[in-house]
Amino acid sequence: MNLNVNGKRYEVQAGTRTLLEVLREDLGFVGSKEGCGVGMCGACTVLVDGKPISGCLMLAEQAANRKILTIEGLATNGQLHPVQQTFIDEGAFQCAYCTPGFILSTVALLKENADPSEEEIREYLSGNLCRCGSYRNIVKAVIASSKRG
Amino acid sequence: MAIGESIPMLDSVARVTGAVDYMVNLRLPNMLFGKIVRSQSPHAELLKVDATNALHVPGVVAILTGEDLGANAFYGAAIKDQGVVAVDRVRYVGEPIAAIAAESSEAAEQAALLIDIEYEELPSVFEAKEAIQPGAPALHMKFQNNIFKHAKLRHGDMEAAFAEADEIFEDTFTSPVAQQASLEPHVAAAQWDGTRFTIWTAAQAPFTVRKALSEVFDIPPEAIRVIVPPVGGAYGGKGHIRIEPLVAAMARKTNGRPVKFVLSRAEEFVTVTKHAASITLKTGVKRDGTFTARQVTIYWNGGAYADVSPMLVPAGMVRSVGPYRIPAVHVDSYGVYTNLPPAGAYRGAMSSQTTWAYESQMDIIARRMGWDPLEFRMKNLLVSGEHFATGEELQDVHFMECLEAAAKGLDLPRPPLRAERSTRVIEAGRGPKSKRGRGYGVMMKSTLATSKSQARLKLEEDGTVTLYTSTVEMGQGGHTTMAQITSETLGIPLSAIKIIGPDTALTPFDSTTSASRSTSSMGNAVIAACVIMKKRLFDLSAPLLETPINELQTENGFVVANEVSISFADVLRRNDLQTLEESGEYSTSLGIDPETGQGVATPHWHQGAGAAEVEVDTETGRITILRYAAASFAGRVVNPRLAQLQNDGNVIFGLGPALMEEIVYDGGQATNPNLADYAIPSIRDLPEELTSVCIESEKGEMHGIGEMTLPPVAPAIANAIEAAVGVRIKDLPITAEKILRALRERSEQ
Amino acid sequence: MSIKFLEPADFSEAITLLSEHADDAKIIAGGTSLVLMLQQKLIAPGVLISLGHVPGYDFIRRDADGLHIGALTKVRDIEHSEIVQNYSPALAYAFRVVGNVRVRNQATIGGNLSTADYAADPPAMLTALDARVQVHGPEKKREIPLSEFFLGFYTTALEPNEILAEIIIPALPASARAAYHKYTSISAEGRPCVAVGAVADFDVDGKCQDLRVAVGAAVETPRRVNSAEALADGHTLTDELVAAIAEEYSRRLEPLSDVRGSAWYRREMIRVFVKRALEEVRDGDR
Repeated sequence: MNLNVNGKRYEVQAGTRTLLEVLREDLGFVGSKEGCGVGMCGACTVLVDGKPISGCLMLAEQAANRKILTIEGLATNGQLHPVQQTFIDEGAFQCAYCTPGFILSTVALLKENADPSEEEIREYLSGNLCRCGSYRNIVKAVIASSKRG
Repeated sequence: MAIGESIPMLDSVARVTGAVDYMVNLRLPNMLFGKIVRSQSPHAELLKVDATNALHVPGVVAILTGEDLGANAFYGAAIKDQGVVAVDRVRYVGEPIAAIAAESSEAAEQAALLIDIEYEELPSVFEAKEAIQPGAPALHMKFQNNIFKHAKLRHGDMEAAFAEADEIFEDTFTSPVAQQASLEPHVAAAQWDGTRFTIWTAAQAPFTVRKALSEVFDIPPEAIRVIVPPVGGAYGGKGHIRIEPLVAAMARKTNGRPVKFVLSRAEEFVTVTKHAASITLKTGVKRDGTFTARQVTIYWNGGAYADVSPMLVPAGMVRSVGPYRIPAVHVDSYGVYTNLPPAGAYRGAMSSQTTWAYESQMDIIARRMGWDPLEFRMKNLLVSGEHFATGEELQDVHFMECLEAAAKGLDLPRPPLRAERSTRVIEAGRGPKSKRGRGYGVMMKSTLATSKSQARLKLEEDGTVTLYTSTVEMGQGGHTTMAQITSETLGIPLSAIKIIGPDTALTPFDSTTSASRSTSSMGNAVIAACVIMKKRLFDLSAPLLETPINELQTENGFVVANEVSISFADVLRRNDLQTLEESGEYSTSLGIDPETGQGVATPHWHQGAGAAEVEVDTETGRITILRYAAASFAGRVVNPRLAQLQNDGNVIFGLGPALMEEIVYDGGQATNPNLADYAIPSIRDLPEELTSVCIESEKGEMHGIGEMTLPPVAPAIANAIEAAVGVRIKDLPITAEKILRALRERSEQ
Repeated sequence: MSIKFLEPADFSEAITLLSEHADDAKIIAGGTSLVLMLQQKLIAPGVLISLGHVPGYDFIRRDADGLHIGALTKVRDIEHSEIVQNYSPALAYAFRVVGNVRVRNQATIGGNLSTADYAADPPAMLTALDARVQVHGPEKKREIPLSEFFLGFYTTALEPNEILAEIIIPALPASARAAYHKYTSISAEGRPCVAVGAVADFDVDGKCQDLRVAVGAAVETPRRVNSAEALADGHTLTDELVAAIAEEYSRRLEPLSDVRGSAWYRREMIRVFVKRALEEVRDGDR
């Protein structure tokens, strides 16, 4: 089967492994992590056709021939995506295990809603867990990203 | 002036691009997959562990069972009671019985199903207070009453002091078993080379791991190399030693091939937990609002093995008294074996449980005696120069400032909260019959009494500096902090500093990255190394600059005199040196008497406070935290943004044990070992308004702040609930159901 | 050990495959429940039949007889649908509070209902709306009212070779109003402790006609209490009447216990949230 990841096609033997397993084990996209394995924590968030999903709850087969974006595909030509830059500027991470998931969720949120309220941000990101507790700065970073356009 | 600046973490770009090299990403040539086979019984004799059929599974390379272990294969920080895998007997559900190394995880999993285990069930016990009763099943031969540690503090004449009291309060507060739940699980890989091996592990204390492993395998510590990549959250759960002995023992059987173990989320719940605790405080108070005496009795549920508890039980003892002026204090702190997984440190270790007790009782006392809870605290808080229950004189004490700052934080100017604007009750989580209240909490926590940090600096040929440190970067920004301290002390730009470590083959000794000790302890070791390095640079450059040493300074990578300067690189070159290396060390050697608890418990008392404003829906018992303000004493802040993240992070983390976290057991088997049923705080559980501050002092010593704002969270919320609706919750977590039950019980009275 | 992943081109092929593989096969639509069960080793099918390439069942349509939603419609598309919003904001809300954004992007309404997880959101609202499902089998299509569809924990009236194809939600009179209340007792983020869907129609005098209230999450399957609903017939929903209906729900249902609340607490919460839902249908705009 074929997976289209970050604009490139990959031929993989996925079996009934999850998208997360194939991305990490076969293709080396290790920015997505397994945190909980039950779709609660969002450390495995990737965008499929622009929408965030849990890589741990989707079989790779289900993502065949769809556009998959992982954190590795966000920066272009070595230039950080504006959301990545604001996460740095606002100090929106600590151990950063959850950070790729938060950033991809934020990218998807801002595509749907260019100027979200704090409540809308909290609602959209409520499925991404940060055990270090960086939430306050994450909200700031999302707001700052939306202001930058 | 790198200290005091909000520098982004050194590897920020890696952190936002998913490029941090966590242990879970580690791949070694020829690496095998490890899998642990665990006990399904809480307490049983092992009649049979037969791996014959499992060994035939294609792809299985080796299997480790109790038979492989020598007499030394037991470990533990003070009591070596835990087998690398179980030998003869299992004592909790989830205890490792065997391990498998295979070419694929599928093969390992298939083999796991084929290991034939026969149990003969033994009676089991899960609560500490039941385990100490006569007739309770003993877990370990040497400890027939299941008490493996009894720490005592004896200060003053209790009988006389209680006789002086006008009122005596006695209350018991409990905390359940919880889990650190770092998003990165425990993960380690090991590879043997003859009689030596390397272990890569996500751990907080590489040298503790090395020492323990050297004892288990009976080889010199130098034969073991421990490497710790950046860690994806630890919170105490990766302190001491956990899966490393098993991982190394498995790897010893694979002919030099490396084996890697990554625990699943469910396995995390049986690997380490937070001690459940039952804390009884008996406190004597005079009508004028001063204390006469306090007697504390604590039962810590240590689980099936002592692990690091023999150190934590005495630490919990000194952390149980509270930051108040109390002339007579006795504490009995018991570590008790039960048939649950071993307990270890959990962010705000032991203080999380003890502060819950003493700060809850502060409000009970204040209310009953007619004092305002805030005023009552102010009246009794310790100040510099006073003596604590250990007999030690306290220095640099700022409890009052912390509490004042937190209390003031509730009244900052601000726009109306969502709860004040919203009319849609379901979204605001509030009902028509909601009531509000405010509550406060203060904490006092010791760090390690005896510990050591070493740092080594290497000035490279190009004038850049490499800092070798065994401080673990686990999200707290420890490496960034050390770079800032180096930059300021040595006078070199941050961009010219590189950090290496921890790697026991390269980086010098450090006791551990825990107990909020690194900023102070490693920070001072780094300063010491910088000072020596600077002196060397002055010695080497004074003749070149034709300036007396006492007129030299360093700045931006240059040694600077009045009119002339020379770069560090040129100092080396002109002296025909390739590199320059200097080391620094900082250590403390304090302690308390084991029989009386008298002495000096810590080089520094950590101090923090919190203030909460909550709204209670009296129909459901559900609370909304409207505002929370936190303060910690930092002495001198190295990096304001990282400090704010620590302060915030503690409050948010602290909402977990306060409101939701509890592992529920059924016959020793956790019924909620997953993040769907074991809730941890989400972004929607945040207080609507959260603020935090760091208090600095003239003395300007740098202190860690990794935990200070956590322990006050639960009692501040419980106190706010009582202020709002008049009910007192004494058992964590404070669930809506408990509040509603208490409201009902009160209205029935 | 490896599982076959089959991708039928249409429903009838999917049903044929399902019949062929009988107990060894599982249907996968969005996958959020199924992959979870696979990963936790709660199920071990030999064959997965994916509906990912089956066209024609991803739709939201409003006809004279009501709202029709294709089984393969994503939860998030229902949440965002103007058609659903116009039909009833409460229905859209019941989909908006499912899991998290990622789950809603992936999960389908058919999968949500077929899984019959007691701690789910839409079932209580849909039951209150008198929704029914159309299921396709090898020989025939049939319709099952939701009230008869959920049989117990993770158990439905679907035969082993049937697939849920469509959800039909009867038209609501313009004078009717609906409300959905999800109550999470522990973290704000989580599954419901109690879920209440309520629908009521009112005559010109504001007297209640046709009250329907379904309680979910606190009980094995969404439940209505006819004796309680009947109390409202022809009456104004006064505070006293609302309290009496809520009390009747609380007394009649047998709540379950789990980490989100004991049976005692859930009985109390059924009373509170039936009351709040009724107040909302009484006082709300729609």
